[in-house]
Amino acid sequence: MAAVIPRRISPAAFGKALAAFRAIVGSQGVLDSDEDRQTYIDPYAMGDGLDHDCSAIVAPATTEEVRALVRVANEFKVPLWPVSRGKNLGYGAASPAERGNVILDLSRMNRVIDVDVKQAHCLIEPGVSFFDLYRHLAEKKIPLWMSTPGNSWGSVIGNALDRGIGYTPYGDHCEQICGMEVVLPDGDLVRTGMGAMAQSAGWQHYKYGYGPAWDQMFFQSNFGVVTKAGLWLQPEPEMTAKVELAFPKFEDAEWAIDLLADLRRRDVIQHNIVFGSPVRAASVVSQRAEWYDGPGAIPDSACEAMIKKLGIGWWNAKVSLFGHAATVKAQVEILRALFEPRIGKPLNFELWEQGDAPDKSARGIPTTVGLQSVNWYGGRGGHLSFAPVMPSDGKLILDYARKIKAYYEQVGQDYYASFTIGRRHVNNVSLILYDRDDPAMVTRVDKLYRHLVTEAASHGFGEYRGHISYMDAVADTFDFNDHALRRLNDKVKACLDPNNIIAPGRNGIGTRPA
Amino acid sequence: MSASSGVKCRPSRMVAAWLLLATMVAGCAEGGQQAPAKAPDGARMPQSQVVMFGAGSADAGERLYGQECAFCHAGRNTGTIMLGRRMDPAQAELHKRTDLDADYVKAVVRNGLVNMPPFSKIELTDEELDKVATWLARKGPR
Repeated sequence: MAAVIPRRISPAAFGKALAAFRAIVGSQGVLDSDEDRQTYIDPYAMGDGLDHDCSAIVAPATTEEVRALVRVANEFKVPLWPVSRGKNLGYGAASPAERGNVILDLSRMNRVIDVDVKQAHCLIEPGVSFFDLYRHLAEKKIPLWMSTPGNSWGSVIGNALDRGIGYTPYGDHCEQICGMEVVLPDGDLVRTGMGAMAQSAGWQHYKYGYGPAWDQMFFQSNFGVVTKAGLWLQPEPEMTAKVELAFPKFEDAEWAIDLLADLRRRDVIQHNIVFGSPVRAASVVSQRAEWYDGPGAIPDSACEAMIKKLGIGWWNAKVSLFGHAATVKAQVEILRALFEPRIGKPLNFELWEQGDAPDKSARGIPTTVGLQSVNWYGGRGGHLSFAPVMPSDGKLILDYARKIKAYYEQVGQDYYASFTIGRRHVNNVSLILYDRDDPAMVTRVDKLYRHLVTEAASHGFGEYRGHISYMDAVADTFDFNDHALRRLNDKVKACLDPNNIIAPGRNGIGTRPA
Repeated sequence: MSASSGVKCRPSRMVAAWLLLATMVAGCAEGGQQAPAKAPDGARMPQSQVVMFGAGSADAGERLYGQECAFCHAGRNTGTIMLGRRMDPAQAELHKRTDLDADYVKAVVRNGLVNMPPFSKIELTDEELDKVATWLARKGPR
C-alpha cells in the first residue's frame, strides 16, 4: 500500500502532526503502518476500500486528550474523522468520506460513568458498545432496559448520533440522548442542556436547558466531537408480549401498513415496527444458492419457496407490547381482534413476566446475528442501505415498492425490503446485498443505489442516513430554494471550523474537492 | 469507487495459505442445495448468556473472548453459522475448537478472514490478543 497523507499538506508537516499526536496520547495511541490502517478499512467496502483509506489513526482516552488533538489538528490543518467505535457497518464503518483523513477513534473512551437507577438514565462515553452497556446493567442487576439496533457491535452514542434505531419503546435512539459534552472544532468544550451549568444538579433529566438547544446540531454532522452523553433507559415493565405477524401476499402491504401505522400513532404499539420481505428473513438463516443459483435477480418462485419452507409471509412484522400486565393483556386482545380475521390464523404471542428468562422478553438484547445477511451471495459480502423517509400511507408505499422491486429485477440484484414504521413516517429500507470482490456486481450496486436516490427524490422522498460514498449525492436531494439547507450547513461549518478539520464532507457538509 | 478483488492486505505466507484453504472449503460448502444451516447441538446458548460469556472467569483470556468474540462466535450467531457451513458444526463455536493454535488465532484477528473483519490494536491490544489466543488454543495441538 502506498503511503497516504491528508490532502493539501506536505509529508513533512504530516510527520510533525503525528509526532505531536504521539506526545498527547502516547505511541500506542497513534497507528500509521499499512497493517494497522488496513484494520480500519470498511469491511463492507465495495472493492478494496482504499478509496476511503485513512492516513493514520489516533485514539485518545480522555476528553482533555481530544481537546489537545483538535488543537494540533488545527495547527497542522490535518482533518480528523471521529468515530465512536467505527462499527457503522453498511454506512462506511470507520472509513472517512475523504481519503487521507486521520481517524479519531474514541473506542478507548468506554466508561459507563453513572447509572441513575431510580430516574432511569445513564451517562456514558462514546466507546461504550451496546454489549458493554448491557453487561454493565446485567452484572449490577439494574432493572433498566436498553434498546438495541440490528447490529449491536457499535457504539450506543455513535448509533444515536447517526439516528440509528431499535425496536423497543426507546428505539428512536437519538430521542433518548439527554445532555451532551462536545469538543468543538477549535478545542473549546461545551455541555448542552442543564449540563451548561458548572454546578448542575444533574443533566440527564431535562433535555433543553435555557435558550436554544444545540444538541441536534451534533447529530449527523461535523460540528464537534461528542465525548459524553446522557441516555434515557426504560424501567423494566411488569409484562411484555411479542408476536410475529406473517402477511401472505405482496399486496397485503397496503392494509397491513395502514393498520400497523395507526396502532403506532396511537401508541398501542410503542416501538418502530419492522415489516420485511422474504429475502430479509432468508438471508439470516441461509444463503442465496440454497434457493436460486442463477443469474439476475432472484425470481418470485424462489421467494415463494422461502415463504413455504421458512413458514413466513411475503411481509413479516414483529410486534411487541410493554407495560403493566393488565394493559399488555388488553392490548393482546386488541391485536387479536384486528389481525386474526384478516390473516386467518390465531396469533401466537409469547408472554414474559418479571422473573422469567430474559430471552422470553421483548427487551433489547444485543446481537450481531443480522450481519449474517452479508453472506447471502458468498465470498466477502457487504450491504448498502437506501432508506428514504415516506409518509406512512399503505397505498403509497405498496405502489412504490412495486416500482422499486421492478428496478431491482431490471438491474439484476435480489430485492430486499423492509419498511420501518415510525410514528408518522415509514423508512423504506431497500437493502442491497453484494459480494464486494465481484466487480460486475459492485458496478450494478452503485448503479442501483444512485437510481434509488434519484427515483426517491423525484417523488419527494429523502434518505435518513448516508453512506460515506454517497453523502453528497444524498445531500443534493435536499434542494429547496436552491439547496438552502446545504448553504446554511456550510455557513455554520465555516464559522465553527474555519480550517475544516472535523470530518470534511460528513453528510455533505464542508465537502472539499479532490 | 475501486473494485479490485482478493484478500485486502499483504498477510504472511502462512496466513495467505490459511485464507486460501478457508475460502476453498467455504466455496465447496456454499455451492450446494443444502437446507438452511442449523446451529449445532449445544450451540443454542440463549443470547442473554452469550452476551455474558466469560463474565467472572478467573482467566483473562476467557473474559476477553466473552467481551470481544463471543457475540459472533458463541451461540447462534454470525460466526457460528458461517463456520458451521464449512466445518464440523459441533466445533463451530470457537471456544469448543480443539484444532486452534495461538498464532493462527492472532493472524485471523489481525487480518480478518472472509467475512470476519480484522481487529485493530486499539480495539484489542497485542497483549490482550495474546491472552485470547492462548485461551482459545488451550485444547489445541501441542
